[in-house]
Amino acid sequence: MSRALKYFLVVVALVAALAPVYWMFTISLKSEVDHFALPPPWFNFTPTLEHYFEAFVARSFGQYLITSAIVAVISTLCALVLGTLAAYALARFRLPYDLDRRLSLWILSTRMFPAIVTAVPLFLMMRDLRLLDTKASLIIVYTAFNLPFVVWMMRGFFDEVPRDLEEAALVDGDSRLGALVRVVLPLVAPGLAATAVFCLIVSWNEFLFALVLTQTDASMTLPVGIAGRVTQYEIKWGVMSAAGAVAIVPILVFAMAMQKYLVRGLSLGAVKG
Amino acid sequence: MRRKVLLRSSWLPYVLIAPAVAVLVALSIYPLIYSITVSLQVGEVWGLGNFTRLASDGFFLTAMAHTFVYAVAALTCEFLLGLGLALLLNNQIRGRGFFRATLLVPMMLPPVVAAVVWRLMLNPNFGAINGTLKQIGIDTESLTWTASPGLAMLSVIAVDVWQWTPFVFLVLLAGLQAIPQEPYEAALIDGSSRWQTFRHVTLPLLKPAILIVLLLRTMDLLRVFDQIFLLTEGGPGFATETISLYIYRTAFRFFDFGYAAAMSFVLLALTNVISVVYIRFLKHESRA
Amino acid sequence: MGIKFQNVTKAFGDTLVVDDLSLEIADGEFVVLLGPSGCGKTTTLRMLAGLETITTGDVYIGGERINDVQTQHRDLAMVFQSYALYPHMTIAENIAYPLRVRKLDKPERTKRVTSVARMLEIESLLDRKPRQLSGGERQRVALARAIVREPRAYLMDEPLSNLDARLRVQMRGELKRLQHQLGTTTIYVTHDQAEAMTLATRVAVMSRGRLQQFDTPLNIYNRPANRFVAEFVGSPSMNFIDGKIESGAFVSESIRIPVTRENADQLTIGIRPEHISVLTEPQNNATPATVYVTELMGNETFVFLSVGTNKLIARAAADFRAELESPVWLRIDAEKAHYFDRQTGLSI
Repeated sequence: MSRALKYFLVVVALVAALAPVYWMFTISLKSEVDHFALPPPWFNFTPTLEHYFEAFVARSFGQYLITSAIVAVISTLCALVLGTLAAYALARFRLPYDLDRRLSLWILSTRMFPAIVTAVPLFLMMRDLRLLDTKASLIIVYTAFNLPFVVWMMRGFFDEVPRDLEEAALVDGDSRLGALVRVVLPLVAPGLAATAVFCLIVSWNEFLFALVLTQTDASMTLPVGIAGRVTQYEIKWGVMSAAGAVAIVPILVFAMAMQKYLVRGLSLGAVKG
Repeated sequence: MRRKVLLRSSWLPYVLIAPAVAVLVALSIYPLIYSITVSLQVGEVWGLGNFTRLASDGFFLTAMAHTFVYAVAALTCEFLLGLGLALLLNNQIRGRGFFRATLLVPMMLPPVVAAVVWRLMLNPNFGAINGTLKQIGIDTESLTWTASPGLAMLSVIAVDVWQWTPFVFLVLLAGLQAIPQEPYEAALIDGSSRWQTFRHVTLPLLKPAILIVLLLRTMDLLRVFDQIFLLTEGGPGFATETISLYIYRTAFRFFDFGYAAAMSFVLLALTNVISVVYIRFLKHESRA
Repeated sequence: MGIKFQNVTKAFGDTLVVDDLSLEIADGEFVVLLGPSGCGKTTTLRMLAGLETITTGDVYIGGERINDVQTQHRDLAMVFQSYALYPHMTIAENIAYPLRVRKLDKPERTKRVTSVARMLEIESLLDRKPRQLSGGERQRVALARAIVREPRAYLMDEPLSNLDARLRVQMRGELKRLQHQLGTTTIYVTHDQAEAMTLATRVAVMSRGRLQQFDTPLNIYNRPANRFVAEFVGSPSMNFIDGKIESGAFVSESIRIPVTRENADQLTIGIRPEHISVLTEPQNNATPATVYVTELMGNETFVFLSVGTNKLIARAAADFRAELESPVWLRIDAEKAHYFDRQTGLSI
C-alpha cells in the first residue's frame, strides 16, 4: 500500500479521534448564540470564557474538582504503598502450596468484577457505616479498586530486577530493608511512577462508585458533577463543556508523560510496549 | 532452577502481603458475601425467590440480549479497525510517539466527558454530525440518534468504538512490533505470499496480544455502564438498557436490593466463565 | 580466616544438591571448587555466603559456627558471575556501598575507594555508570567492591566466565597476583579446569554433590583419586581403555602394553595424551593405530587416533603431519599410566 495512502489513513484516524474533543472545547468557548448557529462554526467564532467562569466560580465545579483531586491522590498513595509491599513479597518469596502464584491470580481476578456487582453491597455497607456521601468512602473504595492493578504491575517490575543485585547488597552487609530501599526501589522507580499515573487517571475518571456513594456537593467528584448537569431538564452545554475540558487536562498531561509505559499498563503487563 | 532470595525470615512475606489482602477481602470479598445474603431475601422471606424471578423477567432477558449485542458489535468493530490500523502503521516508525500520544486521547477521557462530547456531536439540532450532514444535503429530520429507538443502540456502540479502538490499536501494534524479523525473512525466502505470511506468521505470533486485548475488551464491554448511562440512560424507553444499567435501576430507583444482588451474581458468574475460557486460551498459547 | 565445612548437605525438596561435604580450608588459601554444572559447587558457595539455607551439617568461619548468622553479618565478600553491579549508582558509589552500609563517614569512604580503584587501575572510571563499562572493566569493579571491605574471605562465583578468552587468561594472572598481595582466604567456583589449576593452592573437585578429591593442583593432575577427577582435569583429557592385565601386560582387543603389575581383571587404564608418542614407523611393542584427524595448534599438534573400537588423543610435535586414515604406531609410557577399577572408578 502506498505511503501516501497510509499517511492519509493516519490523518483520518487522528482527525476522527481528536475532532469530537476539539468540538467540545469549542462549545466551551463559544457564546450561547454560536451554539445553535448553522452551519456549526468549527473555527470562526469569538471565544468567551463566560462558561468557565460560571462553572467554576458561580457553580460548584471548583469544589468538585478539588474533591476529585483529593480522592485521586490519597487513594493512589494508599494503593501504591500497600500494593508495592505485597508485590515485592510475591515477586521475591516462594510461599508454600504455590501460594504466591495463587494469590497473584486471585488479586488479579478481583479486578475483573463488574463494578455494579460490588457497588450495590458497598452502598449498603457504607450506609450502615454512615459513610455515605463522604470523601472517605470514596478513598477507601478507590484504594481497593486500584490495589489489584498496582500489585500486578509492580510485581512485573520487581521481577525484572535481577536477584543478584539484592544478594550482592546482602553480602555487602546491608539489611533486607536497606537493600530494598537503596538498590531495588531506585530501579523500579519509573515503573512505580507509571503505575501511580494510571491509578490517578482511573480514580479521576471513575463514575459508578462516585455516583452511588455520593449525594451532595460535599463529596461529589467532577464526573458526577458533570453528569448531574446532563440529566437535568435544562442542559447548560457551555458549562458542561467547560467542566469537561478542565477534566481532561490532567489526563492529557499525565498520559503524554507516561506514554512509554502505556501499552504495558493497559494490557496488564501482557504486552510490553 | 528459579532462585528466590533467602527465605530465612519466613514471616516477612506474610506481613508484607497481609494489609493488601485485608483491604481486598474487606472491600471485594466481604461485599460479595453480604450481597449473597441480600440476594437470598425477598422482603422478609429467605429463599431463592429473586433467582427464580430472573427466568421470567422479560426486562432482564432483554437487558442481557442488549448487553450481548452491544458487546459483540463493539468488539468486532474495534478489533477489525484496530487490527487494520495496526497492520497499516506497523512500518511507520517516524512520529510513532506523537501518534500514540494523540490516539490515546479518546480512551483516556473520563467516560463522562466522552459522553458529553458525543451528546454534543450527536445533538439533532446543533450537533456537528447533523450539522455537517445537513450541509451536504442529507435530511436529518429523523436522525435523532440517542433519542431515536432505532438509532440509539447504534449510537452508543459507535461511541464505544470511537473511544476504545485506539486501545486495541495500541496493544496490537505493540504486539506486532515485538515480533522478530526472522520469521518474516524466512517466509519471504520460502516464497510465501502476503496473505500467506499474514495467516501463518503474523497471526500466530500475534495471538497472545490478540487474546489479551479481546479478554480485556470483552470484560469491559459486558459490564459497561458509564457511557450508556450518560448518553441515553438506557433509553429511549428500554432500547439501550444493558444489564449493568438494569441492576443499577433496580437497586437505586426501585430500591429492590435483593433482586439487584441476585442479578449481580448472574453477571459475575457470566464474566467469570468467559474470563476463565480466555485465560485458558492464553495459557495454552504461552506454553506453545 | 580458616573455613570449615562439616558434613554439609543441601537438599531442594527430594534432590540432594550437596551431599555430605566436609572440607577444611586454611587461612590465606586459594581454594577452587571445580566441577561440571550441577555438581553443587555454586550451592556450596551460596551456603557459605548465607544465600542458601543449610539443610544439615555445620559451617565454621575462623572457628565460629555460622549456620544461623544472617548474611549481612557474615563479613564475607562475593564476586558474582554477573558482577551484580548496582546499575543506578556510579562506579565510585558501587564500590563504596559496603562501606556506606557499615556507616563509615564520607572522607574515609572516599579514601578507601580511591586506593582500591588505583590498585585495580579503574580510577578513571569512578564517575561512570556500569552500563558504560566493558565486561573486563565491570569485572574489576566487582573485585574492587569485594576488596574495599577487607572481609574475612572472598567468595567468587565463576567471575571470569563472561569474559572473552584472551581477557580471561589475562585476568587469571591478575587475580592470582592480587590474592597473593592481599593474603585473604579465597574460595573460587569454576567449571574451567585450567583456571583451577593455575589459580588454586588446593582444588576441591566435586561431582553430583559429592567431593571427589581435595588436593593441590599438581597432585590432582598426577594422582587423581578416581576416574572422574582424572577425566575432568587436563586438556585434552585423559585417554581411557577398558581391559585387564595378564602376564605382565595390559591387554584390550589389539592393544598390548607391557606393564609391571599383578594380574587384574575389570580394569581401566588411563593415559594422558602427552604420554603417548606417535611414530610413523613400526617399532617393537608399539601399538598400531590409524589417524582419525589431526588438529594443528601452532605450538603442538593433537592427533586423534582410532585403535580398534577405542578413540585416543595424543600430543605430538608442532611439525607432525599425517594423512587421514594413515597407519601409525604408538609408544605408551606405561610408567605414567593410571589404573582404575572399572566398577567403582577408584584409582588403584
